[in-house]
Amino acid sequence: MSNQKKRNFQIEAFKHRVVVDPKYAEKTWKILEHAIHEIYNHNASGLSFEELYRNAYNMVLHKFGEKLYSGLVTTMTAHLKEISKSIEAAQGDLFLEELNRKWNDHNKALQMIRDILMYMDRTYIPNSRKTPVYELGLNLWRDNIIHSGKIQSRLLSTLLELVHRERTGEVIDRGLMRNTIKMLMDLGSSVYQDDFEKPFLEVSAEFYKVESQKFIECCDCGDYLKKAEIRLNEEIERIAHYLDVKSEAKITNVVEKEMIANHMTRLVHMENSGLVNMLLDDKYEDLGRMYNLFKRVPNGLSMIRDVMTSHLRETGKQLVTDAESSKDPVEFVQRLLDERDKYDKIICQAFSNAKTFQNALNSSFEYFINLNSRSPEFISLFVDDKLRKGLKGVSEEDVEIILDKVMMLFRYLQEKDVFEKYYKQHLAKRLLSGKTVSDDAERSLIVKLKTECGYQFTSKLEGMFTDMKTSQDTMQGFYANHPELAEGPTLVVQVLTTGSWPTQPTITCNLPTEMAALCEKFRSHYLGTHTGRRLSWQTNMGTADIKATFGKGQKHELNVSTYQMCVLMLFNNADRLSYKEIEQATEIPASDLKRCLQSMACVKGKNVLRKEPMSKDIGTDDAFFVNDKFTSKFYKVKIGTVVAQKESEPEKLETRQRVEEDRKPQIEAAIVRIMKSRRVLDHNNVIAEVTKQLQSRFLANPTEIKKRIESLIEREFLERDSDDRKLYRYLA
Amino acid sequence: MGIQKDTVKFNVGGRIFQTTATTIANAGRDSFFGALFDDNWDLRRQQQPNSRQEFFIDRNPDCFAVLLDLLRTGDLYIPSNVPERLLCREAMFYGLTDHVRSAKWGPFDGNRLKLSRSVTGRAPGDGTAIRAGPDGGCCVAHGSMVHVFDWMLEEHPPINLDYQRVNDIGWINAENVLISACERLGKGDGGMGLFSSSTGDLRHKFNVVHDNQIKSFTAGALGFSPDYKIFASCKGRSNEYGIGVWDQVTGKQMDFFYESPGWSLGDADKLQWLNASNCLLVATLFPRKDNCYISLLDFREKRMVWSWSDIGAPLTIDEKRVQDAIAMEECNSICVVNEYDDLGFIDLRVNGGSVRWSSRSRLLKGKMPDEPCYPKLALHNEQLFSSMNDCISVFCGPDWVLTSRLRRSYGGSICNFSIGGDRLFALHSEENVFDVWETPPLPVI
Repeated sequence: MSNQKKRNFQIEAFKHRVVVDPKYAEKTWKILEHAIHEIYNHNASGLSFEELYRNAYNMVLHKFGEKLYSGLVTTMTAHLKEISKSIEAAQGDLFLEELNRKWNDHNKALQMIRDILMYMDRTYIPNSRKTPVYELGLNLWRDNIIHSGKIQSRLLSTLLELVHRERTGEVIDRGLMRNTIKMLMDLGSSVYQDDFEKPFLEVSAEFYKVESQKFIECCDCGDYLKKAEIRLNEEIERIAHYLDVKSEAKITNVVEKEMIANHMTRLVHMENSGLVNMLLDDKYEDLGRMYNLFKRVPNGLSMIRDVMTSHLRETGKQLVTDAESSKDPVEFVQRLLDERDKYDKIICQAFSNAKTFQNALNSSFEYFINLNSRSPEFISLFVDDKLRKGLKGVSEEDVEIILDKVMMLFRYLQEKDVFEKYYKQHLAKRLLSGKTVSDDAERSLIVKLKTECGYQFTSKLEGMFTDMKTSQDTMQGFYANHPELAEGPTLVVQVLTTGSWPTQPTITCNLPTEMAALCEKFRSHYLGTHTGRRLSWQTNMGTADIKATFGKGQKHELNVSTYQMCVLMLFNNADRLSYKEIEQATEIPASDLKRCLQSMACVKGKNVLRKEPMSKDIGTDDAFFVNDKFTSKFYKVKIGTVVAQKESEPEKLETRQRVEEDRKPQIEAAIVRIMKSRRVLDHNNVIAEVTKQLQSRFLANPTEIKKRIESLIEREFLERDSDDRKLYRYLA
Repeated sequence: MGIQKDTVKFNVGGRIFQTTATTIANAGRDSFFGALFDDNWDLRRQQQPNSRQEFFIDRNPDCFAVLLDLLRTGDLYIPSNVPERLLCREAMFYGLTDHVRSAKWGPFDGNRLKLSRSVTGRAPGDGTAIRAGPDGGCCVAHGSMVHVFDWMLEEHPPINLDYQRVNDIGWINAENVLISACERLGKGDGGMGLFSSSTGDLRHKFNVVHDNQIKSFTAGALGFSPDYKIFASCKGRSNEYGIGVWDQVTGKQMDFFYESPGWSLGDADKLQWLNASNCLLVATLFPRKDNCYISLLDFREKRMVWSWSDIGAPLTIDEKRVQDAIAMEECNSICVVNEYDDLGFIDLRVNGGSVRWSSRSRLLKGKMPDEPCYPKLALHNEQLFSSMNDCISVFCGPDWVLTSRLRRSYGGSICNFSIGGDRLFALHSEENVFDVWETPPLPVI
């Protein structure tokens, strides 16, 4: 180091400077600039791509990238200013065409310029963080053409005017429109949004506001919806034809808001054509349209649903509380089913089977069916009717459909146990009288009930079927053991298990002696084969077939009830019997006796007895004779008892009481079950849980639950907490 | 004649080449040839007047031959008389660099890697980190300098941030490299800077703001998310430790997650963005700290959603310490590695679970080199890579079976490695050399 300092001369580095022609860059750029002019002037055929590319490459290579780039910006800007003038000068409709033509020219030129400057695009631009040539061309177009003062507003108004003209039914040049919009989109989504989409949406909102006002004044609901739908589809189509797909949601939103959301209430409640009228007239198409349109706006569907629900509840309420309809249970249930079918169809066809609508339908039915306390009885009667005769000649599938529908109604019932009670009674009658049409249908319904409510619900009903089967076997055994009985009257006994069948206080009547003897034989046979059982006769439920010969020798077979048989048998030994005598001899309860005499003496065509005096009602002083003049077209004559189909008022009360009585142990059992697992629980929760547990059978009455709790406390199953009187404790 | 129609004749630097338009079309539209034959340039018309005109190109014919062959076959064969650098320059002219690059090496497969080159650096001392770039280049941090190499492994001007010690580097894209460095006390130097990878110019310096005041800081590990965020572990002088978040586009600070007492974020060794769970994995590991802290941060809720630490864990006799960690979102676990090259797994679904070590490689025990390097982990396309001493192990399959080993005897232990641009770069500690591993193109037959 110190040596070097001492030296007073320095060796000059031998540098070989490369001298570049100082005008090289300028010359090369002139060539390229000329080429750009020629390209814009559609005069490119004379240019050599290879030469231009090489020149541009060389400029970048020799570090003149900056010059090349700034030259490009200046030249292109100058050309665009020219273009801008020629577009401004275009008259009227030619404006858009000129704009489009120039845009296409510019695009083509841009592509060619980019080709020439490809090497700069690849190397110089990323290193110097400049805008690539293509984007640069678009940006310059945007700034010099689209955003130039004279073009910007004219372009917007032209586009909006065209859309407006198309909305009013004119045919416009969609291709031109599409190209122009595409240009805006190519320039960047913000250009499209700011320079077209935003004003377009505003103008559309105004347009539809005015139009919807006009429509709602003069159209009915269905027509209005049709028009709204058409408009909506038009807008969607417009998007597909010449707007950006991203605008679809926005413009449909505008139409939805202006045409539907703002007029929703008025449409739904429109007089003579609103939703309720559509429902009444089953206008599936209109309803479907309303559903599809309202679905698009917030709260639209809930509005339809609410109106439908309240309408449904109103009509349903009228239906079930109408005194007229309560007269015929079958008709009553049929009308409910029809109503359900109607709405099922509406929901399925018009409301695309929406779950929420189905729920609304169900809750409405649940609401009004339970308004009439006799609904369970009526439904059971409906089934009874169907299973007695209604299903004759109906195919198995159709039977299933009817039963399924009935089950649907059954599901709505809160007091399922009441239904069970009636169903049991009706089933018993059907089974005992052999009136049931189809064993399969009966069993199928039982299975449905079982799946719906569980094993407990149907165990007794199933017991009844078992009894019927065993009785058949028993009778076969009885006659096999007593071959001597083949002669004489035939006895058919059905042995019913107590508890499974609806029991009635048994008042045994005096059977005719022949029958009494036979019965006695059966009793000893039965008790001989089954030990530890007790038999009692339910004469009120039996039937008999008897052969009778009348005055002129006309022979008939009479199909009568056991009571009727007892009465008729008396006339084997007497011609005239007074009411008192009959009552004494048979010991049939007065109300039943009256009914059975009435059916034999007062019904035309079935009057095997004659009565003095001739009157409609049976008096205790009446006298009866065999009607010798009885004739009938048929050999077999069925004499029905005047049955009370529906329950009479006192009977109803009685059934009700029995139901209440039956509920007590169930409630108690529920309380004990709950308390056993919870140990300690407060009053409100007990009520809630009990209600929940019993829901599938009936709606437990809170006061009744309270009474049951009191009773359980008395019997020391539970106790009240000494501190908190609301709290119950389970006593093990 | 019908067949002849398709032929094209070039005169390249005096040599005549004939080929077909179909072959030339393989170059793609964004190339010299694509533009040359575009309708815009109307060359057909020039060509038609039965002159059978040839295109003159003023370039090197030897390279043209190689590139034409590449377009014909898709295969790159460079004769010994053509230097690679020359070829690349010519490829740049024609716009065929992507063709050359993809012909040189195939899609990355850890089990087919071959050593392609070893590059010796001139920097003194051990390297800190190596990072693969998206296009096959890489950058290496040595002390306070970062050396940048492009995909041809040509070195570009080196980068420094006020000559402060570089802690981590990362590629934003092929053009931009991010550097995190130590601060110089009181001078506001260091921190984090964005550089051009080709020119080495500083493009942006990132700031940290606490209480509306710009503070100088030491930036540590870096992480990136696909929604253009940069994460960095930061240490400020007034105990402002935590994770800073910046926007890649604007360069502005967006967020700061302060370190809570008893935990470690500002000293982290590794940040990893987890896309599916929208969280950042932050791992501070032994030996930087005495204990290991791994946590997942949710920046939307400003919450640590998952954490694991070995504080208070009983020390076993062989004392396994977690030395690197990587999250594997598909398997819902974090893979960790210890100094014996054992892999361990921590369940991400259970907070604060324990490490399940797979006692795989007892073999290594007992033959530790004199200067051990800390093991590193990487995950690429369902292959797990783990570096240990002078080799890298590749694991595959749901049970992470050891399938391959990359080893070279020269250069000493691997202190860092990185995968990207279909290449694996391994930085060796002793000789200041890094190796480039590539998947060779599929065989011809």
